[in-house]
Amino acid sequence: MAAEDLPSEFDVVILGTGLAESVAAAAFSRVGQRVLHVDRRSYYAANWASFTFNGLLNWIQQYHVNELQDWSSLLEDGEEVIYLSNPDTASIKNLQVFCFTSEEDEKEEEASSSTPTNAAEDHNINADEEAVKESSETESAGNTVTNLLVAIDCIISEHSILYNPCNSPENVPDTARVSKTGSYFYLRLMYSRGSLVDLLIKSNVSRYAEFKNVTRILTYRQGKVEQVPCSRADVFASRQLSVVEKRKLMRFLTSCMEETEEQMAYHGRPYSEFLRDQQLGDNLEHFILHSIAMVTEHTLTEEGLASTRNFLQCLGRYGNTPFLFPVYGLGEIPQCFCRMCAVFGGIYCLRHSVSCLLVDKDTNRCKAVIDSRGQRISCSHFVVEEGYVGPERKRVATPPRFISRAVLITDSSVLSSNSDQQVSLVTIPPIAAGCAAVRMVELSSSTMTCMPGTYLVHLTCQSSGSAYEDLSPLVSRIFCTPDSPDQGNTQNCPSVLWCLYFNITDGSGLETEGHDLPSNVYMCSGPDGGLSHENAIKQAEAIFSKILPDEDFCPPAPNPEDIIYDGDATASAEGEDKEGEDKEGEKENQDKLEEAVLTEETVQTATATSTLPSG
Amino acid sequence: MLSFKVMYCQCICLCILQFSMSMEDYDYLFKIVLIGNAGVGKTCLVRRFTQGLFPPGQGATIGVDFMIKTVEIKGEKVKLQIWDTAGQERFRSITQSYYRSANALILTYDITCEDSFRCLPEWLREIEQYANNQVVTILVGNKIDLAEKREVVRQRAEDFAQSQSMLYLETSAKESDNVEKLFLDLACELIREAKQNKLDNNDTAPMPGEGKAISYLSCCSVV
Repeated sequence: MAAEDLPSEFDVVILGTGLAESVAAAAFSRVGQRVLHVDRRSYYAANWASFTFNGLLNWIQQYHVNELQDWSSLLEDGEEVIYLSNPDTASIKNLQVFCFTSEEDEKEEEASSSTPTNAAEDHNINADEEAVKESSETESAGNTVTNLLVAIDCIISEHSILYNPCNSPENVPDTARVSKTGSYFYLRLMYSRGSLVDLLIKSNVSRYAEFKNVTRILTYRQGKVEQVPCSRADVFASRQLSVVEKRKLMRFLTSCMEETEEQMAYHGRPYSEFLRDQQLGDNLEHFILHSIAMVTEHTLTEEGLASTRNFLQCLGRYGNTPFLFPVYGLGEIPQCFCRMCAVFGGIYCLRHSVSCLLVDKDTNRCKAVIDSRGQRISCSHFVVEEGYVGPERKRVATPPRFISRAVLITDSSVLSSNSDQQVSLVTIPPIAAGCAAVRMVELSSSTMTCMPGTYLVHLTCQSSGSAYEDLSPLVSRIFCTPDSPDQGNTQNCPSVLWCLYFNITDGSGLETEGHDLPSNVYMCSGPDGGLSHENAIKQAEAIFSKILPDEDFCPPAPNPEDIIYDGDATASAEGEDKEGEDKEGEKENQDKLEEAVLTEETVQTATATSTLPSG
Repeated sequence: MLSFKVMYCQCICLCILQFSMSMEDYDYLFKIVLIGNAGVGKTCLVRRFTQGLFPPGQGATIGVDFMIKTVEIKGEKVKLQIWDTAGQERFRSITQSYYRSANALILTYDITCEDSFRCLPEWLREIEQYANNQVVTILVGNKIDLAEKREVVRQRAEDFAQSQSMLYLETSAKESDNVEKLFLDLACELIREAKQNKLDNNDTAPMPGEGKAISYLSCCSVV
């Protein structure tokens, strides 16, 4: 696709467009380093990506296996080769898709016609597997594609019903809009005082994205979804708390902000014990432990208090809850950093990869890389996404850690309210002993991730089995699916129209040290199970300061309105000429305006919103 | 208790500050985004319009995210924020987020380069996929000063634009032909749409009390 060859020398070559890699790219480019940023995928943001339905299809299709080619002819004396692998095959597995909508109305029929399409395939294969296995992989990937196609058809028909009330056959489904239905792969929120938000503001990258506040925090308790009062306003407005509880909660939250001797006494003991001794009652204990601190029964008091404080400090910066969600999904965030990198001269090339590294045997440094088209590109440093590095060269936690994910499209909110545009975070304590706590985020169409009238729901937890095993019991309890135990009581709960389960490598499983890599090669992990982005930002910052210890990390980009251009001398010379044109242009447009202006009323364009940079 | 109060005050103050600031210097703010193959003259168009320069100095584009020009149309101040591709089009790697929240797209090709015209459907696919569905798209054939080298006849481009319901204009950034007209036409069209939307009282407008858009550009989202 690329029309021209890449330059053959860079300061930093970066492979993979995940968050940490993209932040690093922006940081390097910003201080004048020559950056080449490539990704073998056709989309940005690696495992942080957000997809449209079509994008999801392509994502599956791209499970083709690396062909190893012999680039040894490009070697110079004293160099050896390290081959890189395909990131997707290693990091995602147990992909399963279910579709619960059909043209028929009967629930039974639906259940049988859309029996869990056995799309469970293990994509966990190594790049060096034999050709026989490769062919079976291709076949199974083929199956998944058809299954997804089924799912997409269903969604389209669903929306054609939603959009065309008359539902006449000649009404073609609005595919353009349906295709915008987002399916967001890796979901997490941003703490409004977290390092990511701070970095976005500091570097001016925030100008590339829009954000919404998470509007409420919910919790699942005793089979019911309830709202968690977390801000002062919420506490006072809450109907489920008694006056005494309100007072207790306010007192507790206020006292939490400062370290007291009483708190010190609980160091080393579980936070749940500390809470119990505060005489808060079951209600409040649950809220604080699971929804505000978001920790487990066994978390120590000091950690619990720290996360409670973090929560409270983030509260109120941009709204009622401490969380922000990027409009269009989190996949936007790495892209924003990539844009920043490009603006400062970084070169971008998707669908392009590095097939191997050329390493100087004496110094153990990577001198150059060979790209996927066989071009030799020299570089001083090489940053790579974890997934590209073969398992034999990296050190990861054993057993390998995975995250279980589910993505659902539902027809109504888990807790209806006066607005249908809520963005909710739902904390779900372990439903049975041995299960992990699940975090669920429900997005409404105002986040531009799903169609009006539908909700996009993400569930995440640490894996103990496959994603389906971990999450489907919960899904069938909270939502109405054909597997729901209580078919009689399905009126109140939202129906699942479509869902997807998969496991993804937990980025936190990657060790920071001890990889078998040249000294100037740096590895970034994928997303981890946490709610914040601290890890990725820290990685990028660490890599940056290792290479350029004296440079500022992502200094503010100049405001375009303040830039003084080199050619301004010429500009003023031509200035008069230009002004003349200006007037001419306006005159030309007078006529046009005459017909265009329908009312003299001026449109107030400004709305009372705050902007990120104001922080 | 104190810390709660402080946080609340801070939040409200910031909102008010932002509100008054954005009210000051313009009636409309529109984001216009340029796309098209490398070398068709996108940057030249922007710099000709915003600075009256041709050819643009090379080094200066590093670090420039977008250019701004405020024009007055019928007594209303319209601030145009014009975004360039930052070179990401060279290897077909434009970030999707580039298209988001654009009010208008300028799809550019080079009239002396058949290839840049043939790539238009590919660009349209990207637009359809990533841009807002209410975006105003204009097709621009640039470099009409090189008439003797023309490879794409005007009629063909006009037909194509019409079939895709786009506006069409031929420009020369070098001679400054139609450059002003291009941006001012767009501004007029955008104002017209904004007023139309206001009249229709768009029910897509977010309901009060829900998550507010917190954004650099949110003050201009009139669409």
